[in-house]
Amino acid sequence: MRALNKNTVWGYLFASPWIVGFLLFGLYPILVSFWYSLCQYDVLRIPQYIGLRNYRELLFEDHYFYTAVWNTLFYTLVRTPLVIVGSLLLAMLVSKAVRGVRLFRTIYFIPSIISGVILSVLWMWLLNPEYGLVNSTLQFFGLQGPLWLIDPRWSKPAIILMSVWSLGGGRMLVFLAAIQNVPKHFYEAVEMDGGGWWARFRHVTLPFISPVLFLWFIFEIIGSLQVFVEAYVMTKGGPLNSTLFYNLYLYNKAFDDFDMGYASALAWLLFILAGIITLIQFRVSRKWVYYSGGVGK
Amino acid sequence: MMKTTAAKIIFALLFCAGAAALFRPAGGDMARRRVVKYWFVAGVKDNIPLCVQLFNAAQESIRVVSTPIPWNEHEKKVLTAILSGDPPDVVNLVTPVPKWAARKALVALDPAITRDHFDTTRFFPSLWQEMSYRGRTYALPAYTGSYALFYNRRLLREAGLDPDRPPANWQEIQDYSRRLTRRENGRIVRMGFIPQYGTIETPLIIAFEQGARFIDPAGTRVQLTAPEVVSALQWERDFFDLYTVEEVSAFMGGFGYGNQQGFIAEKVALFINDNSFIDQIARYHPELDYGVAMIPAWGEGPSVSSAGSWWLAIPRGAKNREDAWTFMKFVVSRETQLAESMSRDETLFPVNRFAANDSDFLGMHRYMAIFSRQMEQTRSKSIVPLVHDIFWREFSLARERSLRGVMSPEQALGQAERTIQAFLDRALEYDRYVDARMETTEF
Repeated sequence: MRALNKNTVWGYLFASPWIVGFLLFGLYPILVSFWYSLCQYDVLRIPQYIGLRNYRELLFEDHYFYTAVWNTLFYTLVRTPLVIVGSLLLAMLVSKAVRGVRLFRTIYFIPSIISGVILSVLWMWLLNPEYGLVNSTLQFFGLQGPLWLIDPRWSKPAIILMSVWSLGGGRMLVFLAAIQNVPKHFYEAVEMDGGGWWARFRHVTLPFISPVLFLWFIFEIIGSLQVFVEAYVMTKGGPLNSTLFYNLYLYNKAFDDFDMGYASALAWLLFILAGIITLIQFRVSRKWVYYSGGVGK
Repeated sequence: MMKTTAAKIIFALLFCAGAAALFRPAGGDMARRRVVKYWFVAGVKDNIPLCVQLFNAAQESIRVVSTPIPWNEHEKKVLTAILSGDPPDVVNLVTPVPKWAARKALVALDPAITRDHFDTTRFFPSLWQEMSYRGRTYALPAYTGSYALFYNRRLLREAGLDPDRPPANWQEIQDYSRRLTRRENGRIVRMGFIPQYGTIETPLIIAFEQGARFIDPAGTRVQLTAPEVVSALQWERDFFDLYTVEEVSAFMGGFGYGNQQGFIAEKVALFINDNSFIDQIARYHPELDYGVAMIPAWGEGPSVSSAGSWWLAIPRGAKNREDAWTFMKFVVSRETQLAESMSRDETLFPVNRFAANDSDFLGMHRYMAIFSRQMEQTRSKSIVPLVHDIFWREFSLARERSLRGVMSPEQALGQAERTIQAFLDRALEYDRYVDARMETTEF
């Protein structure tokens, strides 16, 4: 008993850098942000408790709140399926044992290591209506390209278009690993039954990789809800607030206006929104995610 | 066993601390002086600003240690330093003083100003007004930029206009611009004037020239729908009768920095910018045939500009206030101002009127006198300190809505006014709450 106690103490001691870090820089700010969400607080002065007023004003008076929610949901709902399907297709392509496939995997992966800010600056030029590569390419095919980031109708699609950059990144690699882990004899069974490539994909590959897909759906949705850098660098929320994403609005409130209480309330509402979406995903997942070991049933 | 291990760790730490103390850098004359910690936003050539070098050379008992902070997110850096309780003794910032003063982030300087009979008439009046909030002074202006109208003489001549007679009012800006704008295959390749190009807001200037105040004297009711502001936005909208916002934005998308800058690349013929633009032209297009004139007036009225300045202040919680004040006074003196303004790659404009009207300074460039004259007629952009950023975000959005025809200027300004007012009411309520419970730090 004594030895166990001692080992436990040592265990905690070794884990303590993480525990202390989490308590100080994770849990404490989370709890404090909830307290501030019930206050008026501009960081430099003392907080004033105002109950649920921040939440009430956000939900019933602040029209930018709904603009930001709509922009973010649009981005999330359009982008998530696109990047998942895109990465999956790319993973299937590079899972073929053809000559030079490793080189292709590397080439596809490289763009994803570029940081968000650099990527945004780069895409500002790519999407430049007059001189950008995107519109010049369209023009080559006789198409008149849109004004992208300058046009409120095209600014969100433009930012979604930027995501193609990351298709070959970590997501593709994980899908590739999952595809390669599918037991070969299942494919053989399908072939014996006379099934083609679609049957192989639909009845073998997809069920086997569904847990991985599910996980990435959750990651990508949470990630998309937090979209920030692109709008912060490229558009500052414009034109006409068409790229005022949730986190950008939160950032404006917190660090431009120093309205930390209001921003904390925004953060908590996003947390609740992400929680609800994830919960729904878990519910729906029972219908389509297959765990070969029976785990998660 | 645990006890002995812990003891070993503590011993090792103590040993390190002791060793570090032993190897502290040797102290010379400089080390004995009292230290003033000075933070400034970088972007100037020298790591140690000239004013610091001059001060340290002239001083025997004080030493200023300067730290450049990057422009990006500089406000947040200063903010966290103040919150940490160990801020620098002097900060050099550019965002409006009242925005900081209203949040009790700065030390009120009035006691020191009165005690030292510090002459405040040396500053340009509008810059000096910017340093105070609710009747108290919190900062000293340090450097500014003076705005004026740059015009391309070659392009004016080419368009059949008199190159010695630049547009004097906003009506002429429109007329000139029509004649100067060129299209090729339906696309704009050159424009006379672009109201959204540059750092100065054209409708703001026009509204100032008509006497707009934007807020009531008590500072509690936003007045964006005042006729002067509406007509300023209407002017901008009328300007766009001949162009669409999209095509002008697409045209501006090709502008960049250096020789890609619109005016320097001769794609824009009329452009409002500050005096440091002279240096940029000299560097990137020395042969450019240009002139500088006063900012256009509204009809027969006065020419007004908007100016803000870099300023020096002592943050709340600063330790060495007395020496900080000495350093601040040194920076704004005529001699230091002259030396600093003239030594930079890009000329900053002195806040000290005596320095700005000094023959050496005026002799730097043939147009310097115009900038100096314009400086006497400027208005501050700090209009609603408690919700400064919301005000400007909303004002820009109203412009955009009006320009794109989503709303009429009145509707757009009305919506902006309601939003700003809602947040201002919130801020005022909080302000009253804090005022009853928190003191301003006195010098």
